[in-house]
Amino acid sequence: MYSITRHRKPRWLATIFVALTLSCALKGAYAESPAPGAPENEEAHSEEGHIALTPDQIKHAGIAVDRVGPASIRETLPLYGQIVPNAEREHTVSARFPGVIKNVAKQIGDAVQQGETLATVESNESLKSYPVLASLSGVVTQRNANVGEQTGDRALFVIGDYSTVWVDLSVFPADLSKVRVGQSVRIVNRDPSITGEGKITTILPVGSSTNQTTTARVLLDNPDHRWVPGHFVTAEVVLSETEVPTAIRDEAIQIVEDQTVVFVEGDEGFEARPVMLGRSDGQVSEVLKGLQVGEAYVSTNSFTLKSELGKEDAEHGH
Amino acid sequence: MIDALIQFSIARRWLIIFLVAAVAAVGVWNYQNLPIDAVPDITNVQVQINTEAPGYSPLEVEQRITYLVELAITGLPYVEETRSISRYALSQVTVVFEKGTDIYFARNLINERLQQAKSEMPAGIEPVMGPVATGLGEIFHYAVKAEPDARQENGAPYDATALRTLQDWVIRPQLRLVPGVTEINTIGGYEKEFHITPDPAGLLAYALTFDDLVEALPKNNANVGAGYIEKNGEQYLIRAPGQLADIAAIERVIVAHRGNVPITIADVAEVGFGKQLRTGAATLDGQETVLGTAVMLLGGNSRTVSEAVADKLTEINKTLPEGVIAEPVYNRTVLVDKTITTVQTNLLEGAILVVVVLLVMLGNVRAALLTAMVIPLSMLMLISGMVETKVSANLMSLGALDFGLIVDGAVIIVENCILRLAERQHHLGRLLKLNERLQTTFTATREVFTPSLISVLVVILVNLPILALTGVEGKMFTPMAMAVIMALVSALILSLTFVPAAVALLLTGRIEEKDNAIVRTAKSLYLPTLSAALRFRLPVLLGAVAFVLGCGWLATRMGAEFIPNLDEGDVAIQALRIPGTSLTQSLEMQFQLERAILELPEVKTYFSRVGTAEVASDPMGPNISDGYVMLKDHEEWPDPNKSKAQLLEEIGEKLALLPGNAFEISQPIQLRFNELISGVRSDLGVKVFGDDLGQLLRSGNDIAEVINSIEGAEGVKVEQVSGLPILSVEADRPALYRYGLNVADVQDVLAAATGGEDAGLVFEGDRRFAIVVRLPEQLRSDLRTLERLPVPLPQGGFVPLGEVATVKLAPGANQISRENGKRRLVVSANVRGRDLAGFVAEVQQKLDEQVEIPPGYWLSYGGTFEQLESATERLTLLVPVTLVMIFALLMMTFGSAKDAALVFSGVPLALTGGIISLWLRDIPLSITAGVGFITLCGVSVLTGVMMVSAFRDGLANGKDIDASIRDGALLRLRPILMVALVAALGFLPMALNTSTGAEVQRPLATVVIGGIISSTLLTLVVLPGLYRMFYRNPKSTAESELVEDAVIS
Repeated sequence: MYSITRHRKPRWLATIFVALTLSCALKGAYAESPAPGAPENEEAHSEEGHIALTPDQIKHAGIAVDRVGPASIRETLPLYGQIVPNAEREHTVSARFPGVIKNVAKQIGDAVQQGETLATVESNESLKSYPVLASLSGVVTQRNANVGEQTGDRALFVIGDYSTVWVDLSVFPADLSKVRVGQSVRIVNRDPSITGEGKITTILPVGSSTNQTTTARVLLDNPDHRWVPGHFVTAEVVLSETEVPTAIRDEAIQIVEDQTVVFVEGDEGFEARPVMLGRSDGQVSEVLKGLQVGEAYVSTNSFTLKSELGKEDAEHGH
Repeated sequence: MIDALIQFSIARRWLIIFLVAAVAAVGVWNYQNLPIDAVPDITNVQVQINTEAPGYSPLEVEQRITYLVELAITGLPYVEETRSISRYALSQVTVVFEKGTDIYFARNLINERLQQAKSEMPAGIEPVMGPVATGLGEIFHYAVKAEPDARQENGAPYDATALRTLQDWVIRPQLRLVPGVTEINTIGGYEKEFHITPDPAGLLAYALTFDDLVEALPKNNANVGAGYIEKNGEQYLIRAPGQLADIAAIERVIVAHRGNVPITIADVAEVGFGKQLRTGAATLDGQETVLGTAVMLLGGNSRTVSEAVADKLTEINKTLPEGVIAEPVYNRTVLVDKTITTVQTNLLEGAILVVVVLLVMLGNVRAALLTAMVIPLSMLMLISGMVETKVSANLMSLGALDFGLIVDGAVIIVENCILRLAERQHHLGRLLKLNERLQTTFTATREVFTPSLISVLVVILVNLPILALTGVEGKMFTPMAMAVIMALVSALILSLTFVPAAVALLLTGRIEEKDNAIVRTAKSLYLPTLSAALRFRLPVLLGAVAFVLGCGWLATRMGAEFIPNLDEGDVAIQALRIPGTSLTQSLEMQFQLERAILELPEVKTYFSRVGTAEVASDPMGPNISDGYVMLKDHEEWPDPNKSKAQLLEEIGEKLALLPGNAFEISQPIQLRFNELISGVRSDLGVKVFGDDLGQLLRSGNDIAEVINSIEGAEGVKVEQVSGLPILSVEADRPALYRYGLNVADVQDVLAAATGGEDAGLVFEGDRRFAIVVRLPEQLRSDLRTLERLPVPLPQGGFVPLGEVATVKLAPGANQISRENGKRRLVVSANVRGRDLAGFVAEVQQKLDEQVEIPPGYWLSYGGTFEQLESATERLTLLVPVTLVMIFALLMMTFGSAKDAALVFSGVPLALTGGIISLWLRDIPLSITAGVGFITLCGVSVLTGVMMVSAFRDGLANGKDIDASIRDGALLRLRPILMVALVAALGFLPMALNTSTGAEVQRPLATVVIGGIISSTLLTLVVLPGLYRMFYRNPKSTAESELVEDAVIS
């Protein structure tokens, strides 16, 4: 028996040894972390939404802060529109008494002053010549009068005064409630260097059935005649221009887990503060809830902080 | 048979020499075809099917493309798994085939099926298979850059678009022709595009739509061939050119007539060069760049191919415009050369040491040189074998080779031949005649042939479990085992043929039989030790047993790792930002990162890929970047002695300065492998399969909660599937009804406005550039403008988009992963401080109890625990089987279980030294170290067999037991010492080397050296005593053998 146990031992030992080494090696293989040497980025996220950053990190990330303060918010509504002649400033001139046109003084395109003679007509009844006078200052846009013609009932001249024009803006139902008479409107031509300001004078009571629009009419000064009736323009209606006490720059706003947040500077880092926003003009937003005047918030590279918040979950899946 | 072979070799010695020379020549020739790389290729047989779908969101990609591709693939033979991801504008289906499937066959199968799938896909969508390459394929990166004062022909500086154009149309086409290159992948810059950016107000003014523009272009942009006419015996070809050539020509294209006035494109839109909507970008040292990557064809020789690419690039650089260069930033040759140099130095130094040992111990120059000849010869045979079995030469496959071990067999034979020849000369008192010499050579060879055969067989046997490894470990270590086996078999064949033949040819003169000084000293030291060991055999034995047990305990205390990390010399940093990060933002963060890292003086360059390259072999979102930090040579560092670990720490410190990024640090090749073989990489992955993404996520979160509550869980993570901000423009159907619009009318306007619509190509020679109609950039990016986008009405007029659709911003699916044809979500967890199997069992039980999975959803468990389980299972079966086989082999040799057991006792003794040396050098246990232990088994069996057979010979010759043992031990002292010395010294350079790649071989060499020292000492001291115990009385031998046999059976 002695010898039997004795020489079985080596086998048993060897089994243990080889199995040990190999299985240890294998276990080790799986226990090994996939990224050896990865730095332990253990920023203490002590509480939800708090990000601790050192001044060095802030500098490297290019994070800059601003203070919550008052701002003027200009809410606008972009619309498309068309320049149309100011119907109040477009006159049709016809002969008071039918007769033969004896003389025509103005061509299409001529500027006329109110009271200026446009043509001379010899009345069929009295056979007296009388002048047809311009009823307003403007430009002759139509002329249906040649020497020797009978005037009949027709309009001989159309005079337009284009020193003001109308801009008919198409307002769609969703925006209609926002548009009011008296709001100022910035008009931009297709050549963006030509701009003008006017006010909404009328909102027409009747809409169009084809495209469901209502026309809001703006009276626009046109002293040097750059606004040509018939052209399409874009318009920005200033809906409101308010001074708000607490406002932040829009770049500061991030959405984290369905909440609108702003990163606020706190002790040793930043905090994601849920906020409620009010009016906004695309540059500056009013803060209704969540921030106090004078608080420092991240206005540049706030996304970096959002990314820092969520980076634990960032992964490269296949 | 073996006798006949040896006899034949001796008789036809010249023929044998000639044959060996021929085999060597074949080896030299084969060397040209041997694939050489730094590390073994661990990629599985996989085919990637990439489908680009510009503008498609993940959900649409999955529904319209991924599903169809998967459906087509379903049912293909030899498929192991399919997995897919669908993300913005890209569908990638990865089909993994069974090991050993021919990749071209696999691609053919897929190609056939794809043809069917294509017909069901949306127009213009084309699934493409990824390049025929493996994880080692990305062998060469270059950056195309321009000097700041370099100017294009038109006087403008080279911008990202111009550089990209050069890459696409000058560099890439030429590099693709380099043999061995399967693909040149590009990332960065912008493809040149002609952009027509209409002003919405302008379109309104002329009552035009995007479509009118898009339709006008093809009608004005084609060359037409019109046959030929014959005239006066000549044939005139007729063509009508009409292609647009430049911006001015595009501007003049007429779109419509309004009041008899033609409206041209210039009237309603701006035409210019625009930026494509790209999915990826590249950076170099904190600036944007254009990065090209040469991808090597599967099975190529990375060194040759990357060298060829580098040469070609130098050539191309001469033809590039002044001031523009394509600069190599990563060249695999560097790493391969470094690694190969390490291996070569190790092997060469080892070989020299072996020769020196032979010279000193044998004291015969001819014999030493002839033994040493076995080294290059077996190496050449190994090369042929490797080429034949398609094993590539790399650090792992060549790493375990020890020339000492290879020549062991030859050493024993030559040593014995010298001994016997000298004896015979001495006996006869004259030089031997030819036939006497041949006769003596034969008997001497025959005498010691058994131990060398046994040792080779033992090494082969212990390598078998390694060959049975599967997965990544298998791919890593199978070549190593194969190479060792092939080298040993070659050496064995040589010892049977070449060695006796050469001995017969060369050892002609007078042969000194006297031991030289070293051997004499050794013998004089050994004799008293042996006597003492024999006298106090029981205490010695007990001591040895205690030693073995102690080492066994030590082994369980030691750290363990997979394989030592191969230092590639460079660093890869993968930076991850939250999903939804825009490419521009990601680039900005990447620039900060690169500038910070470049502050380190050891860094040469830092280049990165952000997002997905043109060929989407690695589909990353724009929030992820793969960065490669190229380090300067160690000599150029301010402190050349700084270790890489230290540098990594400094890099880590720099990275910590950059908030908003998560990092994974690895190395270039390692990174690529991780991307390619990624299944679930954590210990346990619970996969939830089902249809609804929301439900999957809810279930996933439930599961994560449960797992988190279980002891030992660490890093529990739910796969990130959502979080991509998606702007949904949902058509308001009642509103559409009022306006008489279709949903498509709204969608088309939106797609054209933000995504852009293709309107043909502009040709410049071979180069072709897309014409795209798209909103101007400042309008595209403004949400408010989008709401105001005019949608033309059928009856004239327009309606703003916001009026007929609601624009909603909400986080949506970031990427949709599928596996084997079903949506899948993975909850992964690692386990610390408890056994994996128990943990998995508990997880399964708790999930069954606590988590309710809705019908139609199911769970499956995966992760590395599976592999560990299967590997452990395999090994627990195979290791004992192997040991039994070794034992059986020894029994067959000796015809005695007792002797076999005695020889076997050397194995644990050998292992002790290995463990102690590892412990002393503070190297953790690893598979490489395991391979060292395997080698040790072979060596210890070899010495044991030599010892025991000498004892037996003594007994057989009628000597008494003590005399047999003493004489046998003294007789074998020289060969055993030689075998031990050559094997140990052969590995010495490997154990001490610190250059690139050495860290893989170090554990192996350390184990072997330590083990051989212990094994030799213990064989010489413990084995005689043990033998003495078993054979107290020579007369009882037969009896005890009977008992023995009874026990075994």
